[in-house]
Amino acid sequence: MPKLKLEMDVNGKRVSRSTAPHTRLLDFLRDDLNLTGTKEGCGAGECGTCSVFVDGKLVKSCLMPAAKANGAKVETIEGLAIPGDLTPVQKAFHKTGASQCGYCIPGMVMAATSALRENPSAGIEEIKERLGGNICRCTGYTKIFEAVELARDVIAGDLPVTALEEDAVGDSYIGTNVRRLDAPSKVSGRLKYAADMKMYDMLQVQILRSPHAHARIVSIDTSAAEAMEGVECVITAADVPGKDGYGVFVHDQPTLATGKVRYVGEAVAAVAAEDLLTARRAVAAIKVEYEELPGVYFAQDAQKQGAPIIHDYAPDNLVKHIPVRKGDVAAGFAAADLILEDDFSTQQVEHAYLEPEAGIAYVDPDDVVVVISPSQNISHHRHMLAEIIDKPINKVRFIMSPVGGGFGGKEDMIYQGILAICAMKTHRPVQLNFTREESILASAKRHPSKVHYKMGLTNDGRITAIEFSMLSDGGAYGMSSEGVMRKAAILSCGPYEVHNLKVDTTAVYTNNTPSGAFRTFGGMQAQFATESMMDMAAEALGMDPFAIRRVNMMKIGSKTHTQQELKTASLDRCLDAAEQSCRWEAGPPNVRGQVRGDMGGPDTRKPCTLGARFEGTDLEPDGTEKVA
Amino acid sequence: MMDRKLKGRGIAACWYGIARTATIDRAGAWAEIDDGGTGKVVTGVTEIGEGILTVLAQVAAEEMGIRPDDVTIGDNDTARAPEAAHAGATRQTYMIGNSVALASREARNVLFAELADHWAVEVDTLKAFDGELWAVGTNLKITMSEAVAICKARGVVPVGSASFTAHGTGLDPVDGSGAPWQAYVFGTQVAEVEVDTYTGEVQVLGIWAAHDVGRAINPRGVEGQIEGGVVQGLGQALMEDYQTDKGHTTTHGFAKYILPTSLDIPQINCSIVEDPDPLTPLRAKGIGEPSLVPTAPAIMNAIYDAIGVRIKSLPATPEKIMQALRDREAAKQTEVA
Repeated sequence: MPKLKLEMDVNGKRVSRSTAPHTRLLDFLRDDLNLTGTKEGCGAGECGTCSVFVDGKLVKSCLMPAAKANGAKVETIEGLAIPGDLTPVQKAFHKTGASQCGYCIPGMVMAATSALRENPSAGIEEIKERLGGNICRCTGYTKIFEAVELARDVIAGDLPVTALEEDAVGDSYIGTNVRRLDAPSKVSGRLKYAADMKMYDMLQVQILRSPHAHARIVSIDTSAAEAMEGVECVITAADVPGKDGYGVFVHDQPTLATGKVRYVGEAVAAVAAEDLLTARRAVAAIKVEYEELPGVYFAQDAQKQGAPIIHDYAPDNLVKHIPVRKGDVAAGFAAADLILEDDFSTQQVEHAYLEPEAGIAYVDPDDVVVVISPSQNISHHRHMLAEIIDKPINKVRFIMSPVGGGFGGKEDMIYQGILAICAMKTHRPVQLNFTREESILASAKRHPSKVHYKMGLTNDGRITAIEFSMLSDGGAYGMSSEGVMRKAAILSCGPYEVHNLKVDTTAVYTNNTPSGAFRTFGGMQAQFATESMMDMAAEALGMDPFAIRRVNMMKIGSKTHTQQELKTASLDRCLDAAEQSCRWEAGPPNVRGQVRGDMGGPDTRKPCTLGARFEGTDLEPDGTEKVA
Repeated sequence: MMDRKLKGRGIAACWYGIARTATIDRAGAWAEIDDGGTGKVVTGVTEIGEGILTVLAQVAAEEMGIRPDDVTIGDNDTARAPEAAHAGATRQTYMIGNSVALASREARNVLFAELADHWAVEVDTLKAFDGELWAVGTNLKITMSEAVAICKARGVVPVGSASFTAHGTGLDPVDGSGAPWQAYVFGTQVAEVEVDTYTGEVQVLGIWAAHDVGRAINPRGVEGQIEGGVVQGLGQALMEDYQTDKGHTTTHGFAKYILPTSLDIPQINCSIVEDPDPLTPLRAKGIGEPSLVPTAPAIMNAIYDAIGVRIKSLPATPEKIMQALRDREAAKQTEVA
């Protein structure tokens, strides 16, 4: 392959390298110059984690061919401050707690730096707009806004430099705003995530994924891939040395598809090669013959008579059903003055951690198989991997690399087994970095759910009975479905003491992307329905929504839905705190928006009206519409 | 004719269980008060972005009498650290926090026993904080660095270890009865929204979030968890929607899978409620997951307050809002007819 000779000024140093013509500026910085502070989050210019300055302008380095930067002055996160020091922007991020997982933060610091370079007196609306091309999944942006405003004021001299220092401690470190100890490593781009790590003699792994939602694997021909120069191993299900199968509750998912595929994106084969390009070409050379099978794509179809069977062990496609019963539901409804019945649904949600899945595996000199990855559950993963590769527990070692966002999505062992087997086959370190598309395709989602709800109440707002039934699409594999159904059932009817209830939560197999653990673990799907019903009941009874919740709330001594007696309960205090802080104007939820007097306070933001600052629009500078 | 942009408010409450569900949870930790008056803590699993490293350093520092900056937390490594299970389930502050507290306390007790003997004072007169150790009621006061040196000169390395457990019982298979967690938290959120009735766009302008966390070890970190949870809840409420067609995703990147950005963010007003956990040394509970639970229903209730249509199917996209407004108009026309 011909090489391009590139010369540029990177962080004040003149660099000269030969690189492949397809190299992006991002790859040139990360792979050729080892400047891994610049992260790859999406490879499509949509997330901003790869932001750098080129000739002083903020650009997304994943969108720029390296050759386009030839002769340019490039500045990366590593070059903002001299090594060991931080800029005021970085110090402000440290001070306010603006970094959490930290993966978006180098790009966010670059965008913030750009904002203040372009306009040192930028107001909050302009700051928000200038950060609009950078996604953060952890922080909710609020502490980032605070950091940029703090940095602006310190740089302008409106606040002393000491404003960037840590708050003084009183007589205890408990309850003190100690600055995050990991923040300097994150705001400076120094922290190495799994994709940033390199080992000597390391191979790159790529995975062949299923193009079908449900199909029998007739044959796999890996000969052409194996014959390619630079390919060190090609593995399929036949190469799994031990008892295959993983999952958080039921071990129903194979490391590599065995006999058939059950969802689009399921791993079928993998290649380890000298470089990424060779690994991708080898994956493309693997020939798989499939026989397509009818699929199940809606949870309500999974248990119909004659539905395609997805796992032999579950002929009814049932992953888990959790029942909760308490009191006498029929008597409860008989005592009700009002009965409401409705249906609610929630969608599949992607975790969208900014760090795509990545990992390294190697076999150490003592024959220990080591996997380094951003796993949320290294303890369980080592148990499962020991079975899969047929090794004693102490010959399997998991190291948790810095996690660039998890939210439950990195509890599933969806690629660590592949890495381990490739390392054992080649006896060389191997690395696998997912693309964003691969991460979205292959990883678990929040369970989409449908809830049928029936609630009975007396005229004074007391709940007399609830019937709650939730059906969730578990997708192709069990993952965390059992636990999610359990938690959804336990929390279902909300923080209220309900004497008579009948709750059922059910997850079924389909041929959709698997559902798994996701922050709240079923709790939000269930309580979305309950909290909607509470407001609907309040409107029907003419009650204030805080009042109806106080009538029913759990207190000390209350029995939960699973009949556990509570020794503490704090909903009364939470309701009071929310009601007072928002200056709530009491009244029933009967569409009072236009007559309320409690809105638009100083504790709200202005609506976002892009374009308001441009002349000739029909908006005033403050965002309100001009009156003609 | 109604105004184009209408505002409204809604509330939602929530509850949540802390640590693993319906099982016996556990976490192990090792601690050492090290040379120079520093601390070393090793436990099986820590940071996924939520700030637990800093919380654990605060906990260890408080117990050892040193500064959080002086605490080193070892890597998460199944072959080099004791098991602490997993990073999830709103369990880290509760489970690992208490385990680190107990391990650090044991290390401190070893150090204190040596120093009490060295000074010939009662051990319960010893106090340590922020890098200094002293005997109450005396003029004996040294740095922790000196204290460790004295301890080691007596042939003792001040180390400790702990295993912490939280009990839960499995659910009865028939009626679901059981005590799945030993600690529960509660919360309430209020949302204020503006709905554009021409475009169906919903903007969340304010969130008031009141959450019980037991005891806030790092209040700013708690706010960060609330703000992050609220914005993930807002994303699910209004825009995020992973879609498939016969199992093939049609939302394969961030151009199609829409996430909240800086321009979507309401002013988030946090109220931290502290109802201490009576069963555990730290008295803290947790906040990671519960902060997300009430956001979407609070926003849906606020949309109803603004425009009188109830969205029961998430997310409340502009298309769904417009359809609901059209349906309501059609229903009104039918009534008139």
